[in-house]
Amino acid sequence: MLWFTGIICALVIVIGPVYLLLKYSVSDINSINTGGNPVPMWPYNPTLQAYVYLFSDSHFYQVLLNSVVISLFTIALGMILGIPASYVLGRYKLPGRKVLLLMIISVRLFPDIASVIPVVEFFIKIGMHQTYLGVILAHTLLALPYIIFIGAGAFESIPDDLEGQAIILGANRFQTFFKLLFPLAMPGLAAAAIYTFLLSWDEFIFSYFLMLGKQEIYTLTLYLNGIKYAEPQNLLAAISVCLSIPVIAFSFMVQKYMVAGISAGSVK
Amino acid sequence: MADVVIRSLFKKYGNHRVIENLNLEIHDGEFVTLLGPSGCGKTTLLRMIAGLEPIDNGELFINGKLYNHIPPQKRSLAMVFQSYALFPHMTVRKNICFGMKIKKLSKSEMDRKFEWVINLLRLKELENRLPREISGGQRQRVALARSLVLDPEVLLLDEPLSNLDAALRETASEELKRIHRQLGKTIIYVTHNQVEAMTMSERIALFRFGRIEQYDKPRVLYDSPATVFSAEFIGSPKMNFYEGEIEIRNNVAGIKTDLAFLKLDKEREKTIFSMPGRKILAGIRPQTVYYTGHLLRRRYTDTEVEILAELVENMGDRSLVVGRTEAGTLIRFIITREEKIDQDKRMKIFIDGRRIHVFDPITQLNIFR
Amino acid sequence: MKNRRICWEMIILSDFKRTLSIENVKQWFFKTWPIFPAMFYLMSFLVIVLFYLIGLSLNHPCSEINFPTFASFTELFKNEYFNSALINTTLFMILGTPLELITGLFLSFLIFRSFFMRGVIRSLFLIPLALPALVTAMLLFVLFDFPGGHINHIITGGYSWFPQVFDQPINWRGSKLFSMAIALFGKVWRDMPISMLILLAGINNIDPELFDAAKTMGASFRKRAVHVIMPLMIPSISVVLLLRSVEMWKEFIFPFVLAGRYHLLGTLIDFYYNEIGNSHMAATVSIIMVICIVFSTLILMKILELIQKLIVSR
Ligand SMILES: Nc1ncnc2c1ncn2[C@@H]1O[C@H](COP(=O)(O)OP(=O)(O)OP(=O)(O)O)[C@@H](O)[C@H]1O
Ligand SMILES: [Mg+2]
Repeated sequence: MLWFTGIICALVIVIGPVYLLLKYSVSDINSINTGGNPVPMWPYNPTLQAYVYLFSDSHFYQVLLNSVVISLFTIALGMILGIPASYVLGRYKLPGRKVLLLMIISVRLFPDIASVIPVVEFFIKIGMHQTYLGVILAHTLLALPYIIFIGAGAFESIPDDLEGQAIILGANRFQTFFKLLFPLAMPGLAAAAIYTFLLSWDEFIFSYFLMLGKQEIYTLTLYLNGIKYAEPQNLLAAISVCLSIPVIAFSFMVQKYMVAGISAGSVK
Repeated sequence: MADVVIRSLFKKYGNHRVIENLNLEIHDGEFVTLLGPSGCGKTTLLRMIAGLEPIDNGELFINGKLYNHIPPQKRSLAMVFQSYALFPHMTVRKNICFGMKIKKLSKSEMDRKFEWVINLLRLKELENRLPREISGGQRQRVALARSLVLDPEVLLLDEPLSNLDAALRETASEELKRIHRQLGKTIIYVTHNQVEAMTMSERIALFRFGRIEQYDKPRVLYDSPATVFSAEFIGSPKMNFYEGEIEIRNNVAGIKTDLAFLKLDKEREKTIFSMPGRKILAGIRPQTVYYTGHLLRRRYTDTEVEILAELVENMGDRSLVVGRTEAGTLIRFIITREEKIDQDKRMKIFIDGRRIHVFDPITQLNIFR
Repeated sequence: MKNRRICWEMIILSDFKRTLSIENVKQWFFKTWPIFPAMFYLMSFLVIVLFYLIGLSLNHPCSEINFPTFASFTELFKNEYFNSALINTTLFMILGTPLELITGLFLSFLIFRSFFMRGVIRSLFLIPLALPALVTAMLLFVLFDFPGGHINHIITGGYSWFPQVFDQPINWRGSKLFSMAIALFGKVWRDMPISMLILLAGINNIDPELFDAAKTMGASFRKRAVHVIMPLMIPSISVVLLLRSVEMWKEFIFPFVLAGRYHLLGTLIDFYYNEIGNSHMAATVSIIMVICIVFSTLILMKILELIQKLIVSR
């Protein structure tokens, strides 16, 4: 019984905020500016006007496009760098590779907020401040350890015998990689790609420091942050929902890998 | 087709010596089995022959050519792994054609060989299935087919039958023998199942701790084991061993053991006559012990022992009996189904002196080889 | 025998030669070259970060003071903004770390045994992690609005289902204490699943037979939990505490959105860099943050070690 109450409480705590977010995003203006009356738990006249407004705003499209472009390029660059590295770390029983993997993943313990100033200063110096490329490079930096970690796990899980058989059947290293290892590691690599997408999509610190003041290249998170004092709350909520939907959807897709990553990276 | 010669081969993983000074010669078209307990380096040797593991020291010749540094892709040999190593994302057809595609064979050639191999191994109608959609026996045949289409000179098989159930194992081993007869390829076959080794191979290399204990025809391994280990490992149920020493009684040389005073055949008796007092380890196969219930011509060389049948284990067409002498020494022997023995019965048995194996307990070697 | 020894000597010697030979290095490179682009990428950023952090913090904007100098540091320690941020962050860490552990324990104990729909409920428990941190922060920003936010309406008795606690709405974000508390709440809410997953992995590593053994001895469920599970979970609890305390020092988004006027170390970096435009100070704060993290981790590790010893000796 105690246990059941606990579950209900936990579910309310976990789901409540999501409900409120959705509620705000479909609120009409009277349910927000209530003139002193309590904000209703469900809007008086549910409406999609916040979304309609959002999707008729060309700046929003620009922002959406920026987010998509930046995350796609981050995935591309991250994969190009990460897959070969994870192939080596996953397939070859090199001495010290466990230590190397651990080092790579613990790079992420270094605070983003502490590494952002040097990176921004460096990008200013080489003229990449407030550019797409700068943000993409930064996001790749953040995602790369995860890609290598997840990817190495994917490559490692392929039995050695398969590779040995391919070699005996005459395949050279590239053929073995492209015909055998890569297709078999695909699910794990896809998870890594999705993870990269998520990371880039809701990344805030580096985006904020690298793009501040240049509205044309703002991503969704920056756009949301920029209008927090100005816009009506239903619009804030609508943007939040747009920002969250792909994240939630993809998170559940890669849940298995996320769980494994969190538990493996920790319990050792 | 080719012969394989291995000269003083060494291999170690870290400080663990897996293969130690190994010599092996395999003739063209021969079916040779590497037999040995788990972990004695059989797979490692196969992987070295295939080129998947570098050779620390020693030489590997195939067809008289030094193969040590030839990359595995260029050694025209094939290997079937213990796990079959079928590519899980490819259909049976793609699996079988993988090697031919890599070698860039023409389409018609590929089709021809594919047809040939699926007829040979009865794989029709499976070609579009994935490995996880076929049975263990079929997987084993696909793995074999994939190797055979490349027309290898040497075929390496690593316990290909170990994942099959008993019934399937028998058919599969007959299949393998048939293929060997049909194609006449050199086959190196690994197993730790002595029955498979005895029935299938022309010669058996018995392994122990990365070294070859004995290398000969199955019959020879069974009839005159070179070492105690060979004697122990080959044959089932296990051989009985008794420590003893050579003694001369009534002008006849024999081996005095806890079991009895064991007599040997004339020829060997003459030899041991000259070494009284020498310590001996005598081995008696359960199959070379006879029971009086059975009508039998007694020979001069038979040793008579009186025992109490402590345990009779039915094994179908025959039974294993564990007997105990008055002094408490145990002996295990086999009787046929016609000879019925009741438990706890006193009885006389006879040990065939011609087939007692005599070893030196220190060197562990067979004295008469 | 002698022959054999010579053979072994030969092998060892040739091994040695092979390790050092150019051929071997070449082979090694041929095997591992695909790892180098990624390593180069990570390494160069590491160098850039360290180079700039040290370079900037050991400098001072005043042109008279030359590199290297600790002027930035001394100035910072005299600065009341910095001192309050340091104290705030320390408190944030000291309060937040146990909170994260407690919420994680709560969730993991709810779902560690199997029951109907366990998988679904576990997935639901991951929602906070799946929601972008900024969105969570924004939501709290809206909920704790003054004077007309949801929370204010609740506590002033706007709804029939909740008693009136205050008669005046509270200006949450205007008060240091409250804004910090909200930020902390948001942070803990979002991180609950991470602690939960680590702890669950820890529980799953415990041999299930132990539970059964405890069960047969008649221990009630709660006693079982305390006496059997807890000691065995010390490793995963330690991991949660260590990782989460680092996260607490680093925190940026929640205080940034919810406690804009009152700084933690993270938001202080933003303040110095983007509002004052003093990169030296920002880098100095960054370095101090890293130093804090290292020290607090070391101290925490010592404490955990002591606790473990205490438990074992008992
Ligand atoms: N890659 C490796 N690294 C270290 N040791 C290894 C490696 N491969 C095998 N070994 C060790 O070498 C020894 C021989 O292994 P191998 O696989 O050749 O045995 P096997 O005779 O094939 O045994 P089984 O019948 O069980 O297959 C074993 O003790 C094993 O632990
Ligand atoms: Mg093996």
